[in-house]
Amino acid sequence: MKIHKPATLQEAAGLLAADDSAQCIAGGATLVAMMNSGVVEPSALISLANISGLNEVTKASDGSVIIGAATKHKTVAAFDSFSGAQNIVGIAAGKIAHPPIRNMGTIGGSVAVGDPAADYPTALLAAEATFEIVGPAGSRSIPADEFFDGFLSTALAEAELVQSIQLPAGPENAVAVYDKIAKIDGDIAIMSVAVVMASSGDRCDYLRVAVGGCGPTPYRVAEAEVKFINGDLDVAIELLVAASDPMSDVRGSADYRRKVLPRVLRRALITAQQMGGGE
Amino acid sequence: MSDTLTYDLNVNGEIETITAPAEETLLTVLRERLHLTGAKRGCDQGVCGTCTVLIDGEPVRGCLTIAALCEGVEITTIEGLATPEALDIVQQSFVDTGGIQCGFCSSGMILTVSSILKSNPEAGEAEIREGISGNICRCTGYEKIIDAAVLAAQQINGAAR
Amino acid sequence: MTEVLDTIGQRVTRLEGKDKASGRAQYTDDMTLPGMLYGAITGSPHAHARILSYDISAALEVPGVKAIITGDDYDWFRSGGHVKDETLLAKGKVRYIGEPVAAVAARTQKAAEEAARLIQVEYEELEAVLSIDDAMNPDLPIIHEEFSTYQMKVTDLEVSGNECWATSAEEGDIDAAWAECDAVVEETFETQAQHHLYLEPASALVDVDANGKVTIWGPNQGVHFIQTRVADYLGLPLTKVRAISPTVGGGFGGRAGPHVQPITAALALKTGKPVKITLSRAMDFETCRSRHPSRVRMKIGAKKDGTFVAQEAELLFDGGSFMDETPAVASFGLMMARGPYRIPNFRGSARAFYTNKLRAGSFRGFGNPQTTIARECLIDRLAQALDLSPMAVRQKNAMVAGDKWLGGQEVPACGFAQCLEEVKKAADLDKAQLPPPAPGKKRGFGFSGFAHISSFLASGASVQLREDGTITMNTGGIEIGQGASTILAQICAEALKLPIEDINITEPDTDTTPYNYKSVGSRTTYTTGRAVKAAAEDVADQIIEHAAAMLDCDPAQLTLISGGQVGVKADVTDSPLVNRTITFKEASLRAHYGVGGPIIGTHTFVFDGPPFDREGSKMKAVVFGNMGAYIYGVQGAAVDVDEVTGQVEVVKAWAAADVGRAINPTNIEGQIQGGFAQGMGYALFEEMVWDNGRLVNPTLMEYKVPGVKEVPKVQTIIVEDPEPGGPFGAKGVGEPAMVGVAPAIANAIDDAIGDRPNSLPMTPEKVLDVLDPS
Repeated sequence: MKIHKPATLQEAAGLLAADDSAQCIAGGATLVAMMNSGVVEPSALISLANISGLNEVTKASDGSVIIGAATKHKTVAAFDSFSGAQNIVGIAAGKIAHPPIRNMGTIGGSVAVGDPAADYPTALLAAEATFEIVGPAGSRSIPADEFFDGFLSTALAEAELVQSIQLPAGPENAVAVYDKIAKIDGDIAIMSVAVVMASSGDRCDYLRVAVGGCGPTPYRVAEAEVKFINGDLDVAIELLVAASDPMSDVRGSADYRRKVLPRVLRRALITAQQMGGGE
Repeated sequence: MSDTLTYDLNVNGEIETITAPAEETLLTVLRERLHLTGAKRGCDQGVCGTCTVLIDGEPVRGCLTIAALCEGVEITTIEGLATPEALDIVQQSFVDTGGIQCGFCSSGMILTVSSILKSNPEAGEAEIREGISGNICRCTGYEKIIDAAVLAAQQINGAAR
Repeated sequence: MTEVLDTIGQRVTRLEGKDKASGRAQYTDDMTLPGMLYGAITGSPHAHARILSYDISAALEVPGVKAIITGDDYDWFRSGGHVKDETLLAKGKVRYIGEPVAAVAARTQKAAEEAARLIQVEYEELEAVLSIDDAMNPDLPIIHEEFSTYQMKVTDLEVSGNECWATSAEEGDIDAAWAECDAVVEETFETQAQHHLYLEPASALVDVDANGKVTIWGPNQGVHFIQTRVADYLGLPLTKVRAISPTVGGGFGGRAGPHVQPITAALALKTGKPVKITLSRAMDFETCRSRHPSRVRMKIGAKKDGTFVAQEAELLFDGGSFMDETPAVASFGLMMARGPYRIPNFRGSARAFYTNKLRAGSFRGFGNPQTTIARECLIDRLAQALDLSPMAVRQKNAMVAGDKWLGGQEVPACGFAQCLEEVKKAADLDKAQLPPPAPGKKRGFGFSGFAHISSFLASGASVQLREDGTITMNTGGIEIGQGASTILAQICAEALKLPIEDINITEPDTDTTPYNYKSVGSRTTYTTGRAVKAAAEDVADQIIEHAAAMLDCDPAQLTLISGGQVGVKADVTDSPLVNRTITFKEASLRAHYGVGGPIIGTHTFVFDGPPFDREGSKMKAVVFGNMGAYIYGVQGAAVDVDEVTGQVEVVKAWAAADVGRAINPTNIEGQIQGGFAQGMGYALFEEMVWDNGRLVNPTLMEYKVPGVKEVPKVQTIIVEDPEPGGPFGAKGVGEPAMVGVAPAIANAIDDAIGDRPNSLPMTPEKVLDVLDPS
C-alpha cells in the first residue's frame, strides 16, 4: 500500500483515476474499520488532509452553507450559523456515534458509503443538499436524492470524489426534527426520520420529510409532503409508509420497521408542528 | 507489497522515528513498535474505545488512525500521564473511587476523561456521560467511572482556586 | 454486634489499581518473548461436515511459516469436564462454523494469517442441527456419533440422539398438590445466547523449554484448571504444563475453560519456540463460548393468601457443539429453579442438547438467570391472579435460616427477607421522587428475588512470614477484575492484624501456587478466602509459639496486636509480661536463623457442606455432590416504555445483596452495578444471532452491549447476615449481581403496559408487539 498526500482536489482525483483500488482517506473512521475487517484492501490511500478548504463549514452571502467533504462531524455539530432547515444537518451530525468518532469521521467519508441508515444521508435529503463532485472529467453537482442511488451505493463515478456539500438557505423560520430510533445510544439507526417544517402564521407551508433505514436509500415522497401541507396527516404518513422497502437485519426486522415507521413519522411531524412548524 | 515508510511521531512529548508498512494503524505502531501497550486492541472497529489515545488533546481511536498520517500532531497515550512517582489526578481518582476493575477499558476511559476535563473543567455528570459514551466498560456499570471523573473535576477545580 | 475489624469492611483501594491506571499492567497480548512466533487458526466454514482431507502445501509456501498442525497430527486425546468430547483441533468432523481445524505458527502475524487462509480442507457437508427443536428431531443427524464411548463421570445419565444431558429432582407430592392451589400460572420463556464480552479478546502466549515443558500465559479464571485441560488436550503429564495468570481483562465465566491456550501450546511444542495467538474480536465471538440459550416451561400454584404450594419446572438448554460445562449448568439451573422460597412440592427437570453452534459454557449466573426469569415473572402473574402485591407474595414465601434448599440442605443464614424489605423501602421512596415519564412513555416498576451459591469444590492457600515481618500470600484466586486479590489480601491482613501494605501477593502460577479449583461460581471470597484466613491463622499460631518461647510464657497468654506484634491478652493483668511485645520481625528472624525454620502457614479444604439427599429429593444426574453458602439478593427496576417504538429505558434500579459480611464495600458495589449493566444487556439488547449456523453479528458494530447512556443509577444495598462458614462471615456476590436483572425489568415492563414479552432480549419489536399486537 502507498500513501499519497495531494495538495489539491484535482491532484487527488488524478491519483484516484490512476489506481482503481486506491481510496481517499480523511478521518479514517469508516475506511480503516473496513480495512481492519478485511472488507477493503486499498492499494493506496490518498489523504485529503493537505487540501485546503476541504475541512471547513462556511456560510455564503445567500444564506447557503457549504460543508467541505473533510469536515469532521464534530465541527458540523458545533457549527452555529445554520439557519432554519439547515439545522437538521447539525442535529444529525451530533447523533453520529460518539464523541471520539465525531472527532475523526468526516461528512465526505460518511456519505460516500451510501448507508441508508446512516445519519447524514437522511438529514441531507431533508435539507435538500447538493453535492459538489470532482472527477477526471471535471466538476459536477447533483442533488442528494440522486446522490444516494442504491443500497451502499452512490452516484460517484470511478475516480470521483465529493468536494463539498451545499445546503440551501431554505425557509429561515423552518424547524428541524431528527427522530432517530437506535438499539442503543450512538448505534447506527434502525430507522430515522428527518423533518424540516415551516409555517406562515399557524399554517404549515413548507415540509420536507426524509426517511432513513427503511429502504435501499433514504427517501422523500413529495406527494406526502403536499398532503401534509394540505392538512392530511394520515394520508401523508400512508404515502411515506407505502414508499418504504425495509430489510431485516440484526438491528430490527422489516416487520418492525414497517410497523414502527408510521408511529415515528406521526411523532416527528407532530413534534415539528408543536415546535412552530405550523398547525 | 506494501510501501515501508519512515516518519516521525510526537508521542508523549518524544519524537519517535518510525519505519513501518504504510497501512499500520497508530494502535499497532504504539503497541508493537514503541512497546507502549497501554492502548488496547479490543475490537479493531472503533466501537469499544480501549485503544483511545489523544491527538492534540482530543480522544480518537488508535485502531482507526493510520500512523503515517499522524506526523505533526501531538499524541498522548496513557503512559504519558503519570510521572514515575505519582499518578495524575484523573488516574488517581479512578483508583480511589473503584472506577477500575479488569482495567482493559481504563486507559481509554482515563484519557477520555482527561480530555473532557481539560476542555471543560466544570463538566458535570451529563457532560461526563456524553464524553465517555463511546467507551465500553463491561465491569463497572459505569457508575464508579462517573464518580472518578466527578472527583477528578472537583480536585482540578479545587487546585485551580 | 459484629466485631470491629481493622481491614475488613474498609474501602481498600484495588491493589493493582495503579498498574492498571498507568497502563503498566501486562495483559497477555502486551507480552513478547525473544524469538516469539505468531499463530493463526483456520476455522471450519461448515456447521456440520466430515473432514475428508487436508492440503497444506500452499500454506507451507508462505515465507516465514514455521509449523502447521491439523487434526491429523494428533492422537485422539479428548478433553472436557463431565464428558470428554473435545479434541485439540477438529478430528474427522467439524461441528460448528469457526471450529479450529488447523493452525499455523509463523514469523509474523501477517504470514500466519495468510497461511491459515491458504490451508485447504475438503469436507463432506452434513445436515446441521441448529436449535433445541432440531436436536429433538430424530430425522436429523447425530452430532456426536461416538457419544457412548466418551469418558464420563456420572453413571446415572440416560440420554439418546442429540440430547446430551438429562437431570431431575422432585420433592413432596406434586401431583396431589395442584388440587390444593387456588391459583396456578404456567408459561414458557425463551432466552438467548449472550456473549461475555470481556473486553480483552482471547489470547495466549506459550513458551517451551528443552524438556518439552510448556509455560502458558493467558486470560483465565483458574491456572490449575487450564493446566489440567491443556495437559488433557495434548496428552501431557502435569509436570510438563505450567500455567501463569497475567493481568486478565474480564472474565464473567468466559475464561473458566481454555480458549486458545491448547492450540498455542501445541504450536510451541511443534516449533520449539514461544508462540502467541490473540484472536480478533470476531474469532473470539465465533469460537469461545456463550451463555446457554434455553426454553423453560414453569408452573407455580399458590393458595388464596399467596402461600406457594407447588412448582414444576422443565428446563431445556441448548449446549452447542461440545459438552463443556453443560452438565453443571443444567444441574445448577435445576437446583436454582425453586429459588429462595418455601415451596413444599417441586418437580423439575433439565435437559440439554448438542447443536451445531458454538459451545455454550460458564457465564455469570450459570443456568440460574434462565430459570429465575421464568419463576420471578410467574410470581408476578400469580400475585395478579390472587390480587396481591408481588412484593408481598415474595415476602410471604421468603425462606429463612433453618429452611432447606432443594436437595435437602439446611441453610445456616439467610438475609433474603431483609433484601426484600430494603429494596421495597428504597423503591417506594423513589416512586414518589422520580420525575414523571416524558409524554408518550409509560412508567412501570418491577422486582425480582433470587439466590445463588458461593461455595463448592477445593481451594488451598499458603501464607509465608518473611524475614522483615511482612507476608507473602499465594493463592490460586484469579484477579479478573472482580477484586479477588484485594479481598484475599484484606482477609489475610485482618487475620494477622497487619496493614494491607504488608501483604505481598504472588501471581497465580501452577509451579508454586496451592491448588484452587477456579475463580468461578462466586466462590473466591468464601472458599479461597476461607483457606487464606486459616493459613494466616496458622502463621499467627506459629508466631505466637515463637513469641511465647522468646518471652518464656504460655502461648495461651498471648495474642496478636495490630501492626505486626504479639503481646499479652487483655485479661492477663498480673503478669510481668504486660507491656512486653514481640514483633513479627523478631519472631521471623528467630524462625529463619534460630529455631524451627521459616514460618509458612497453609490450609486446604474442599467444600464441607452436607451432601444432597439424592434419594429423598429423587435427584438424577445432578453433577454436584454438595454446594452451598447460599447468597441472596433482590433487584428492582423502574422503566419507561416508549409507546411509539416499544423501546425500554431503565430509569432507576435498586439492588440488595446479602453478602454475609462486606469485606470491601467498593468492590461489592462495583460487582452489583456492573452485574446490573450486564443483566440489562441480557434483558434488552444482547443476542448472538445465527443464520444457518453462521454467527451474523460477531463484531461490536453489530453485537451491542449497554453503554453509559443506557445504564441507570443503581442504588446498592449491602445486607450482612453473617455466613457461619465464611471468612469473617463473608460470601460472594459476583454472579447474582446479574441474575435478577432481566426478570425485574420484565416485571417492570409488565407493570407499565400490562404484559411483557416471554423471550429475551426484550427488544423494542417484542415490546411493541405486546403493546400493539396488530
